[in-house]
Amino acid sequence: MRISDVSKAYAGLVAVRELSLGVARGSVFGLLGPNGAGKTTTLRMVMGIIGPDSGVIEVLGRPAGGSARDRIGYMPEERGLYPRMLLEEQLLFLAELKGTPRPEAARRLPAWLERLGLSGWGRRKVNELSKGMQQKAQFIASVLHEPEVLILDEPMSGLDPVGANLMRDVLLELSRRGKTLILSSHQMETVERLCDSIALINRGVKLLDGSVADVKRRHGRNSVVLAFEGDGAFLGSLPGVRRISDSGRYVEIQLTEGTDPQGLLREAAARLRVSRFELVEPSLHDIFIERVTGDADGASA
Amino acid sequence: MRRLAAVARREFLERVRSKAFLFGTILGPILLGALMLVPGLVMSKQRGKALRIAVLDSAGSLKADLEQALVRQKDDADARFVLRPGAATRETLEAEVREGRLDGYVHLPSATLQQSVAEYYGQNVSNVLDLRLIDRAVEETLIARRLSGAGVEPGRIQELLKPLELKTIRITKRGAREDRRGTFLLSVTLMMMLYTTVLMWGQAVLSGVIEEKGSRVVEVIVSSIPTSQLFAGKLLGVGGAGLTQLLVWTLSLALLGFYAAGAGTTAGLDLPEISPLLLGSFVVFFLLGYFLYAAMYAAIGAAVNTIQEAQNLVFPVLTPLVVGVMFFPAVIQSPDSRLSTALSLIPPLTPLLMFLRISVVAPPAWQIALSILLTLATIAGVVWVASRIYRVGILMYGKRPTFPEILRWVRHS
Repeated sequence: MRISDVSKAYAGLVAVRELSLGVARGSVFGLLGPNGAGKTTTLRMVMGIIGPDSGVIEVLGRPAGGSARDRIGYMPEERGLYPRMLLEEQLLFLAELKGTPRPEAARRLPAWLERLGLSGWGRRKVNELSKGMQQKAQFIASVLHEPEVLILDEPMSGLDPVGANLMRDVLLELSRRGKTLILSSHQMETVERLCDSIALINRGVKLLDGSVADVKRRHGRNSVVLAFEGDGAFLGSLPGVRRISDSGRYVEIQLTEGTDPQGLLREAAARLRVSRFELVEPSLHDIFIERVTGDADGASA
Repeated sequence: MRRLAAVARREFLERVRSKAFLFGTILGPILLGALMLVPGLVMSKQRGKALRIAVLDSAGSLKADLEQALVRQKDDADARFVLRPGAATRETLEAEVREGRLDGYVHLPSATLQQSVAEYYGQNVSNVLDLRLIDRAVEETLIARRLSGAGVEPGRIQELLKPLELKTIRITKRGAREDRRGTFLLSVTLMMMLYTTVLMWGQAVLSGVIEEKGSRVVEVIVSSIPTSQLFAGKLLGVGGAGLTQLLVWTLSLALLGFYAAGAGTTAGLDLPEISPLLLGSFVVFFLLGYFLYAAMYAAIGAAVNTIQEAQNLVFPVLTPLVVGVMFFPAVIQSPDSRLSTALSLIPPLTPLLMFLRISVVAPPAWQIALSILLTLATIAGVVWVASRIYRVGILMYGKRPTFPEILRWVRHS
């Protein structure tokens, strides 16, 4: 998938501004950003549901919304199924709209229902299903036509931990079978575990992108996890400390470039009982917070 | 094409499987039959009780004759009048009428015989059919008296006075048949059925679109197929369900017509002729009306978020249909008048009024053809505009768009 210089505005409000992204075939791509960043708008444009005001979007080498869309599966953020229709009928219908012949879809359906724990619910109406079940049903709707590219807008939202684990396993399975996955999320843990590469957007503008490893490397290896007993309030005023995030039982400290972590260890050991000291990569979570709040500061300044 | 068919199939099955459909389809013909037969039966029976009346004779010598003439007046073999015998004054009769012990009285002034005048006093003076019988009785009495004054022998007078019975016979291409109020009732009933079915199935499209939008299914669907296919599939699928219902009705009508041609008339039932032209146009004009109005309904459904919001927009769309219905008495009275012809050629009115004309007296074929062509052209235009509104509106949530906004959608999409 390739997005070049795409912009989209709604009634004067810019949702996406000159955005360019690339997703390699077979990879897992995470589109990150806070609420209202333009993730859903971007995905909708990729699906050809709405057209960009300017710029070009290509999926599987074809313009968005064209013949390629049978080979894409889409799970929108706002889940939607016909409430009074039988689940089975509904899923077959949606697969048919993707050009999968009905008998073919009917043959595949039981395995998918089974995989997501919905066996026996096929003859129920959708409004009799719990929210988590509807979510899984929506997911089946996006994969039943066996797409090469799967676009999932917030795939984990609304799932309990068991459901989320199941979903993650299924996604990894699909990825291993060579499918391209594009997911939007603000659950960093999910993204970190699943994605090969990411892009972070805020207010319609891309803040960063690249492979997860790359992004982390660029944001310095200079992060330290420190667990201790005592009053650590002084840590923030030490030279070379850029940022501290307190996770309760431990703190994560980002150091400015060139700062030697050994100095920090010495200072800390001198004044606190240190029980853990570890050099870590910054989590995507921290990068996300840092870049998004930094972006907001920059904008309001 | 296969996807459009899938959409249409879903819409069709969804409707046809519902209980409401089964109910409406079965109940329709029963209602139709009831609507056609009951008024006829009621009409003939409703006059019910005979009127209690008295004669007040100021002329002096006509009372007995008039009383006999009144007793002779019959309606379907039942006497219509019960005479209260005995002499009375105007005051006592009037009091009795006021108290309800008497329905009315006939007053013959002294100059009755010379000037042919009489008066009827009663609480109800709008029972036209009864008044006509009284009129006839007085007339018979007067003429009989004059004839006998002119020397005609009493035995011949009754013979000369034999009342006229006017039968109405409707001439159609298929032959002549006695017809009382049947044609009128059938025409109005069928037109009303067209009106309600066009409305009902249009409304079904409206609520279907709103449901799709409200449950957000539409986003999944338009990520798979172009909105134009969804739009077309929906109209066709729901229309197919409507057509199915209508065909069931048409078939039962045809059976009724078959029955009417045979046993119906001899059994005394008042059944009009049901021609293939009538049945055919019933279906054709349903389809025209349905597509014209359902397309508009679909656009409205896409533009709004709830049924409540839709009501405001539905009103202007329905106005022509309502106006069409209001003109039906004029059209039925003189189906070939310039007004009727003109109205039936206005596309939004065509489905109802052209059908009505056909049901009364078949209009010239060119007029039927022209009306269908004009309506088809209008449908094409309406569908074009509606599909554009639909395309934009179906993904718009939040505030209901204003009219200028909707116009902008049409121009820009």
